[in-house]
Amino acid sequence: MFLLAEENHCLGPALPVARSENGAFHCSTQFLVTKPRSVVPVKLSNLTVKTAISMPFRQWINLVWIGLSCLHAGCSKIEFLPNRLAAAATLQSTDEMQVDKVAGEAYAIATTLFGTPDEPSWPTELPNVVDMAEVSRSAGPVGRAYDKIERGLYRKHCVQCHGITGDGAGAAASLLAPYPRDFRRGTFKFKSTSIGTKPNKADLVRILERGIPGSSMPSFAPLRNRVEFENDIEALVEYVVYLSIRGEVERRLIQALVENENLEQSEVLSIARRVAESWQGTGDPLSIPIVPNLEGEALAQSVERGKQLFKSEKTACNKCHGEDARGDGVSQDYDEWTKDWTIRAGIDPANRSEWKAMKPFGALKPVVNRSRNLHLGALRGGASVEDITKRIALGIDGAPMPAAALGDGSSHSLHSEELFDLVRYVASITRVARPHDTSDSEAQHGTR
Amino acid sequence: MERGDRSLAVYRWSLLVALLTFPLIWLGGLVTTHDAGMAVPDWPGTFGYNLFLYPWSAWLYGPFDLLVEHGHRQLAAILGFFAILLVWVCHRYEARAWVRRCSWLLLLAIISQGILGGIRVLLDARIVALIHGICGPLVFAGASWMVMINSVDWYSASRELRPGGLRWVARGLLLLTIAQLALGAHLRHALPTWKPSLFTAFVHTHLLLAFLITFLVFAGLFIVYRRLYRPHEALRSPIWCLVCLVFVQVTLGLGTWVANYGLPWQEVNEFLANYTIAGRGFWESMIINGHQATGSLLIVCSLWLLCRVERRSLADRFVRRASSLELSDARTGQPGIAGTGSS
Repeated sequence: MFLLAEENHCLGPALPVARSENGAFHCSTQFLVTKPRSVVPVKLSNLTVKTAISMPFRQWINLVWIGLSCLHAGCSKIEFLPNRLAAAATLQSTDEMQVDKVAGEAYAIATTLFGTPDEPSWPTELPNVVDMAEVSRSAGPVGRAYDKIERGLYRKHCVQCHGITGDGAGAAASLLAPYPRDFRRGTFKFKSTSIGTKPNKADLVRILERGIPGSSMPSFAPLRNRVEFENDIEALVEYVVYLSIRGEVERRLIQALVENENLEQSEVLSIARRVAESWQGTGDPLSIPIVPNLEGEALAQSVERGKQLFKSEKTACNKCHGEDARGDGVSQDYDEWTKDWTIRAGIDPANRSEWKAMKPFGALKPVVNRSRNLHLGALRGGASVEDITKRIALGIDGAPMPAAALGDGSSHSLHSEELFDLVRYVASITRVARPHDTSDSEAQHGTR
Repeated sequence: MERGDRSLAVYRWSLLVALLTFPLIWLGGLVTTHDAGMAVPDWPGTFGYNLFLYPWSAWLYGPFDLLVEHGHRQLAAILGFFAILLVWVCHRYEARAWVRRCSWLLLLAIISQGILGGIRVLLDARIVALIHGICGPLVFAGASWMVMINSVDWYSASRELRPGGLRWVARGLLLLTIAQLALGAHLRHALPTWKPSLFTAFVHTHLLLAFLITFLVFAGLFIVYRRLYRPHEALRSPIWCLVCLVFVQVTLGLGTWVANYGLPWQEVNEFLANYTIAGRGFWESMIINGHQATGSLLIVCSLWLLCRVERRSLADRFVRRASSLELSDARTGQPGIAGTGSS
């Protein structure tokens, strides 16, 4: 299905794609950014025909029809957007022509591989890591067809913040703190797998179920309360994974196109396969030691040891979270999404005149990823002891929060007892920590 | 001449139509809140059935979005029937020709709004949903206008008020609340293709207009208690309604933002830091919907205030105009309006 040589276009007749003799992809990128929109032709010459209907009325009808046709053509066509920000950052250039050329070529290939928001597709050459039936159900416009199955779940629940491409630049994005997640990096913060690897789908389901407290990410647990929506969360997760893979392939294609202008089909497939395979085998979460329950004096001593560890050079938690764990440490940093187009592209995110040059490519104002004030209990990855253990042991991917090195308790690693002490200390200051919270958010919302 | 001919039947039917329009607006708001506009793929039928013949068990026990959308359509159809009856009642009992024409206009507006809703479904265009969402409260305002022109106040108002600042406050309020409605509808129907900067611009303008409306409402409250307006106690009811509605609306507006996007300054205290939005939660939906419905009530109350002010000052304006014409005629030596017997 993925043989562009047999096709003379990639996105309909407006987007010509061709392959050169060496099998490289070429796509006229000028068309990619500004696509012509079709308008249903209306013969205005008919206005001169004398009919039973009076002329002004006929004219009025025609104008209404033209207006509706334009609305239909202009508003119903929704496409993924090229990743211009990644192209500009990779090229380290703000030359729009150059950026659009690279972004457009990568976009065209990604579209050929993965289809459009209304008609997503999956290359047969790649491992099946997403359920395309659920992806199709989540894609497209919102509504039910005659089969009464609801479609367009992503546009119903997510698009306002995460954007149609999953770029975290939806309409409301710039007003939210923190900004919505850009899925295209393939990085997810709260998961049960190690840093640098993909989350398993259960992690994503959990985020959708419980939401992220203190952020704009809602809990979709109320969907579970109705039979007709009870599988929507799983369908949305499939679509998020699909968007993430599509976006990451596009990003890697941009990097490849910057290094090598002409890509072989085998190279494109190799890139796509690597991304898809990174989602395979993420099913099993890393085993995290279970924190034993302590009471009384033993607990107090453990908390005190944890406090000392928190402030020690060994963990250096206080560098970011502050001496009193109020999130006011001296070391505050940007997240990886921001660093991608700022620091790594030679731009100082604190310098307005520098980062502003990237705004035309879709950049939002860089915001420092402030460390959590643990006293407020706003633990976004979950407030149970189990969650706190995971966050300390596994870190937060994409954020400055590193994973603790677990080992024999030497100067560079934490012994399991030390980990337990640290967890108990954090749990004691957050005050909201519970032993287990696997269904707490559901129960909470179920009573609403 | 009009004062003695007040028809209670027309008033009651108008009131019934207006009272039916408000739940329709509420239901329409629920359709938007739950993105249920395309829960039924066809129009004017429902999954191939006639609107009123669709199995009630499939409707009531089916998916929630279908329940809301089909309910919205049925109530709209019932409203259409009542609007037709209102036209008949007007022609039967109403002496004023312009009121009879108003009833036709209201019917036309309700039918057009229904067709607009149908076009939204047939084209599956969110932009048409936006227009439909803006026109809904305007139809409600039209239905309320029918009530106002048949009310006791319309007939009994003393035409002694000299137009002053309150007229401009009322006019400004009506215009601003309608503009606010349009902005709010844009935010609720924001297209997936919108850039963040456009959405931000709409939000900021919405906030600015909210401030202006609040200011005008309190200015109006100040004015109605001044000596000039003191004898006209009837003007106080709409302005006090507006004051209450503004309080409710501002609260609901904040609630709507929190229910949709959370607060941008969560790290203030423990409660805010731990607040998690319940996507599609019951109370969240009610808050969002309440904000939209209260917006409609603000438009109607602004219209109510304007109606009462104009009704009291209309004769005054006319007399002033006639006097000025007489003065002008006396200067030129030609007969004016007074001379033709128009007054």
